[in-house]
Amino acid sequence: MEPQRNTNATLVDLLDRVLDKGLIIHADVIVSVAGIPLIGVNLRAALAGMETMLKYGIMQSWDERTRAWEREHRSKKKSSLAQGEKIILKMLGSYYSDKGIYTTWRYGRFFLTGERLLLYHEDFGAVLFETPLVKIRGLVIRDEKYFTEKKERGELYLVLKGNKIVRLSALDVAQLKEAIEKRMNELGLVPEEDPAIPVFEESAAKFLTAGEEIVCSGKMWYLMDTEGIIDNTWRPGYLYLTDKRLCWWYDFEQKVAFEIPVGELVASAMEIRNLSGVLKQKKVLDIIYAGNGTRRVASFSGDSLEEWDQIFRRIITGRGAEVRGQRAEVGGQLSVVSG
Amino acid sequence: MKGRYLYCIVKGNKSVNLGRIGIEGNNVYTVPYKDLSAVVHDCPAELYQSANEEILKGWVSTHQKVVDIAWERFGTVLPFGFDTIIMGDGLTSPEENMKNCLKQDYDSFKRKMEIVGNKAEYGVQIFWNSELMAQKLTEESVEIKKLNEEIKSKPRGLAYMYRQKLEGILKKEMENKADRYFKEFYKKIKPCVDDLRVEKTKKTEDKDKQMFMNLSCLLTKDGSRELGDELEKIDAMEGFSVRYTGPWPPYSFV
Repeated sequence: MEPQRNTNATLVDLLDRVLDKGLIIHADVIVSVAGIPLIGVNLRAALAGMETMLKYGIMQSWDERTRAWEREHRSKKKSSLAQGEKIILKMLGSYYSDKGIYTTWRYGRFFLTGERLLLYHEDFGAVLFETPLVKIRGLVIRDEKYFTEKKERGELYLVLKGNKIVRLSALDVAQLKEAIEKRMNELGLVPEEDPAIPVFEESAAKFLTAGEEIVCSGKMWYLMDTEGIIDNTWRPGYLYLTDKRLCWWYDFEQKVAFEIPVGELVASAMEIRNLSGVLKQKKVLDIIYAGNGTRRVASFSGDSLEEWDQIFRRIITGRGAEVRGQRAEVGGQLSVVSG
Repeated sequence: MKGRYLYCIVKGNKSVNLGRIGIEGNNVYTVPYKDLSAVVHDCPAELYQSANEEILKGWVSTHQKVVDIAWERFGTVLPFGFDTIIMGDGLTSPEENMKNCLKQDYDSFKRKMEIVGNKAEYGVQIFWNSELMAQKLTEESVEIKKLNEEIKSKPRGLAYMYRQKLEGILKKEMENKADRYFKEFYKKIKPCVDDLRVEKTKKTEDKDKQMFMNLSCLLTKDGSRELGDELEKIDAMEGFSVRYTGPWPPYSFV
C-alpha cells in the first residue's frame, strides 16, 4: 500500500495537522487572542460544528441574547399573591411532598404573608404548598439525616390542625420558624410548643398485624432483586424488626418488599463494598436466612449498621443456645431409651 | 511591517530568498541564527482571519506548501502551526525578536531536529464497517441470540425495553471487539515505525465507514515497505479499510 497526498481525501488530514499541531513557542512576542489563534478556531468550528463553536465562544452573543430574554420574561411572571397582601419574609426552601407514588423534595421560595405561608415555584409560576397561618397547630425543628449525605440538617415540621404533618426545609429554618411564630402571635394565635411527630409508625401501621410490636426500625438501603430486565438495584426504604418479622418497607411503592420470620435468620456479616457509581466503599450488612429450604442472602446498607448487626447476632446466638438445648434434651431422651 | 509570519525552522546559516510563495503571495525568506533559520514572510502584527471557509482553506494549504518547499530544500524542518506570528515590541524589531526566539530555544530546537531529522510523518486511519461488525456479533454471541429469541414472545412495551438492553449489550461487545482489533493492529504497526502517536478518532458521515483508529507515524522520508504491507493486509480484511497519507512534515512529533 502506498501513502497518498494531494487528493481531496487527504485535505482533512492536512488541516488537522496544520491547525492543531506543529511547534508552539511560548513567548510574549507571539500574536494571539487569549492564547488561541482565532483563525484556526473559525475554521475548526466550521468543520466541527455546533459543540465546538460553543466551546470556543463563537455562539456567545447568541447565548447571551437567549439568556437575557429568559431573564426578562421570568421577572414578568407574577407570583400568585393577592392584591395588597403584604410579604413579611421571602426565603428559598423546599417541602417534602409525600403524595402520590413518589416522595420528593420540591423546591421554591417561601412567602410568609400576613395570613398565610406559601411555597412558590417562580419559574413554573406554581404554588407548591400553602397553608393559612390559623391552621398551624405547632412548629418544631428537627435534625434529619439525608439519605445520601452524612450531614444532618434542620428541618421544620409544621403540625397542622387535623394532625397533618408538613416537612419543610429552608435556607434558614430557625429564622423561618421565628417569623411564622411572631406573625401568629400578632394574629393572637399560640402555636404549640414541641408538638409530637410520628415518623416511621405511620407507614408501619399499614403492614403491622394485630399485636405485632416494633423492636427496632431505621432508614436503610436494600439491594432489590432483579425484576425482569432490571438488574439488582439499591433502593431506599425503612427496615423494621418486629417481635415476629424482619421486613423492609419500600417507600417508592408503598409496600413491604422484603420480609422473613425472625426465626429464619441464620447469620449476619458486615463488609465494605461499592454500592453504585456514586456510593463507593460503603458498609454493607449481609444477612443470611433460610428461605424455601435454601439459604438466601439479603443485603442492606445505611447508618447504624453495627447496631443492626449486633441485634441480629444477639437473635441468632440466643436462638442457637435454644437449639443446642433442645438437641441436648433429645440426646438425653435417646440415652434413656437405649439404657 | 510589524510582524513575521513563521512557517517553520530549518537547518542553515545563510539568508535565503524562497520567492513569492507565501500566504497571499508574500515573499518568503529565511532569518538565520547560528546554524538554524526561521522561514518567514513580512506581515502586519495581526492574525490572518476570515469568515470565508474557502479563503481559510487556501491559506492553510499555502502554509503547508511553503513548509513542503522548505522541507525539500533544507532536509529537516520543525513545522509550526498556522498563524504563528512574531511581532516587534518597543525598541526591538520583529526581526530581532525572531532571532531572540531562535536563540532562546536553540537547544530545544536542535534536540528536536535530531529526533525528526530526515524523517517524515504519515497518517494512518483505519475504518471499519460498524454495521457489518454488529451483524456478525449478533450471529456469534449466544447472549444476544437468546435475547433476540425472547423479544419475539414479549408484548410490545416489554419488547422495547428488551431491545434497549440488547442495544446496550451490543454496544459493549462492539467496544470490546474494537479494543481487541485496536491492540492487534497496534502491535502489527508499532515495529514498522520509528515513533507512533495515537490521535483522537473523528466522526465520519457514513455508518459503514467508522474511524476507530487514528495514528500519526514517524518514518524515514522514503516510507516503509513493511508498514505498507501491514496496512494492505488490514485493508484487505472484510469490513475494514485503511487511509494512508503522507509524507507530511513531522507536525505531530515536534
